Amino acid sequence: MAAVIKESRSDRIFLLLNYVYLAIALICVLYPLVYIVSASISSPTYVNSGEMWLFPKGITFEGYQRVFENQSIWQGYANTILYTVVGTLVNLLVTIPAAYALSRSDFVGRGFFMAMFLVTMFFSGGLIPTYLLVKNLGLVNTMWALILPGAASVWNIIVARTFFQSTIPKELQEAAHIDGCTNLRLFWKIVIPLSAPIIAVMALFYGVGHWNSYFNALVYLNDESKYPLQMVLRQILVLQEMTGSGIGAATSGEAAMAMNQRADSAALLKYAVIIVSTLPIIAVYPFLQRYFVQGVMIGSVKG
Amino acid sequence: MKGSFRTHSGSSTSFFQRFKAPRTATLVLSIVLGTSLLAGCSSGSSEPQVGSAESAANVNKEGFPIVKEKITLSMMGPDVGMQNWKDMPAFQEMEKLSNISFKFENPPLDSFETKKNLVFASGEYPDIFYASSLTQADEVNYGSQGILLPLEDLIDNGYAPNLKKVLDENPAIRKSITTPDGHIYSLPVINQQSIWYRSPMWYNGDFLEALNVKEADLPKTTEELYDLLVRFRDEDPNGNGKKDEIPLASVKLDDVRSWLLGAWGIYGEDIYNDANGKVHFARTEDGYREFLTYMNRLWSEKLLDHETFSQTPDQKKAKGASNQLGLFQDWHAYFTHGGKPTTKDPMFIPVKSDAVDKPAVAIHPGLSTGAFAITESNPAPEASLRWVDYMYSYDGAMLFDKGPEGLIYETVNKEDHTKKWKPLPSEYNSREDYRGTLTPNYGTPAPTLLSPDLQKGLKEDFDLWVDKQNEEKILAYDPQPPFPILYLTPEEQSEISSLRADMDTYIQQMEAKFVTGQEPLSGWDNYLATVKQMGSDRIIEIYQAAYDRWKNS
Repeated sequence: MAAVIKESRSDRIFLLLNYVYLAIALICVLYPLVYIVSASISSPTYVNSGEMWLFPKGITFEGYQRVFENQSIWQGYANTILYTVVGTLVNLLVTIPAAYALSRSDFVGRGFFMAMFLVTMFFSGGLIPTYLLVKNLGLVNTMWALILPGAASVWNIIVARTFFQSTIPKELQEAAHIDGCTNLRLFWKIVIPLSAPIIAVMALFYGVGHWNSYFNALVYLNDESKYPLQMVLRQILVLQEMTGSGIGAATSGEAAMAMNQRADSAALLKYAVIIVSTLPIIAVYPFLQRYFVQGVMIGSVKG
Repeated sequence: MKGSFRTHSGSSTSFFQRFKAPRTATLVLSIVLGTSLLAGCSSGSSEPQVGSAESAANVNKEGFPIVKEKITLSMMGPDVGMQNWKDMPAFQEMEKLSNISFKFENPPLDSFETKKNLVFASGEYPDIFYASSLTQADEVNYGSQGILLPLEDLIDNGYAPNLKKVLDENPAIRKSITTPDGHIYSLPVINQQSIWYRSPMWYNGDFLEALNVKEADLPKTTEELYDLLVRFRDEDPNGNGKKDEIPLASVKLDDVRSWLLGAWGIYGEDIYNDANGKVHFARTEDGYREFLTYMNRLWSEKLLDHETFSQTPDQKKAKGASNQLGLFQDWHAYFTHGGKPTTKDPMFIPVKSDAVDKPAVAIHPGLSTGAFAITESNPAPEASLRWVDYMYSYDGAMLFDKGPEGLIYETVNKEDHTKKWKPLPSEYNSREDYRGTLTPNYGTPAPTLLSPDLQKGLKEDFDLWVDKQNEEKILAYDPQPPFPILYLTPEEQSEISSLRADMDTYIQQMEAKFVTGQEPLSGWDNYLATVKQMGSDRIIEIYQAAYDRWKNS
């Protein structure tokens, strides 16, 4: 196998450019990550002054220490895990059957239902009416306010529907029916086992969505002990910003002092909190990544 | 079979498509109807009956308890994350005294604004807003809809004796909390301790020492200031051998503008009134042009930080921490330097230009509105008002400023209100942290009267030093508030908002261009014409009318 075909000059140029391009792409993606990791263990003074721009400077682990001591961060962590797990289960429970039903060409009124679903993609009630609805359903200040209103994402239903249409052949369904299989059994015993990639992808889509979302929590939750992690993170960041610019507007010396203290501790905390809060998603991603490519690509190419 | 399904589904799609437009229209219509219905509901009565014989009968007009039979009300206020309001000793003590207990709803400070708007939209209001930062627009808007109750009758009928006394002694305060329709919808924070309209500017004490500048020799004119800044730049006052000193630090000029504008006789950076009651808009004044000229000179000689228009407050602070700044603004100088409070860094002395005899110095109006309001759902407005009225007495203000006696402080002399600190419990890092767990009045605009008496005996050396600096460098200059606190009518408000949307952006951009020299100052006439064309005269006119109304009310 020594006789390797010699690469032509143009091939080599192509290859070289390819490497250069990939290297640039790598730097673009990697730099912010390295920066945040470095910032999280650097002294805030160096970070703010811009002296720390790649490698940590004035190394301190006080940020992490504060994170680990901070009760509300851990409470937020527990809440986020709960909301993500329960929320994603509910999402899957709704999305997968809906998508499968809509993928069947012998489903009566398929076009009509699809159209109704699509309407919700383009029109929504707006914040206040939605809030009133959620409130009247008695969901305000419960975890269900974060889970039920967004239980079905039409976009994800479409992606999953396309997957079913292209991977579950009609012949399979007919064969099962001839053998006396009911629709429900067909779904559980044949369709679901064949759909691991799309379920994984949906779980990742929804899961990341739940993990990162804060706005619903901001609107619907009143009780700080129910806040998800992102809300706690947001609180830290916003307070720092508010105090950074707002000390001038303080009403008394004591208030100014209090704000200053908070700004200092927020500066110390913020990068460590970012790391701690994104780590789980980064850790899970490699395991789901192969399904991710499979699932979405099948859906898109053949659809 | 299959074919018929397909036709069916196909036809339903086209059915839908055919009716899509009307359907959308219906949807829009129903949303509009729904909203107007909602608005209609909440604006039920425009002149609500405040209180009732029944709720009034339960209230004692004097002394404690406030109500004969215990009542529970709901209260909404911002949480700063130190302690649950229901566990705060200040509230517990007040409940014992007044016989009024509360159900609290406390969104965190950073999302309070969002929550407040949702509450107003949803139609289920708390009985009381506390430390709620209602905007003037909120008050005018929700007050005229009857959601917020007008309080002036209750105040005048003896349900707020302490507040009434303050208002009678200071008619200006009453004018400033009364909306154009003649009602008082919210109670204010009255702060007799506050002096600074903007946080002061401070000189770096280390720099002054290195250059051998005594406090008495600090600049008093713009030229002397210029000379000192040049020395900061050239003589390496931080002694590190590098020319890294930044003589004058700023973030977008917002921090230093109002202090320096005074050198040309301008009291505020926006709307201000002069002694004759004439309203001015700072950004079109000749003095403002002189200010721009001066700042441009500082910029071109590298005396003003060249990152002024790009840096964040944090970045400025970081430069302060590495001892690079000569003159900068912050609440206290040590916030920027880091470390402990120090009396080393003297306060900036207002400078003057040749154009004026004495510098114009602004002082805080000592008042902010929107701190407390009672809504239409409150079953006991009289009791609620009596409850909050306690905060405008010395004892009540003390209870909610420092918590009940004996925790963080104790009284030394009951007659002249001298107090002293108690030792700090070991689980708290600072007295402020502890105070945050005792009372809700911690970093929030709570309804109260902050008189100088509250701090009597509690001031430390540093506080006394700051007081002295204030005395010499602000109060000695006959300061006045730039503009009284007053309400605009909804029409005026919306006209101002629409005029200012573009104008403010333009002014901000041009300021940066003039200062950095991107636009030569010969472009001033052009700038002035553009701002006038954008409606600056109309803005002055509106504020003049509002000012006259305020003055004559």
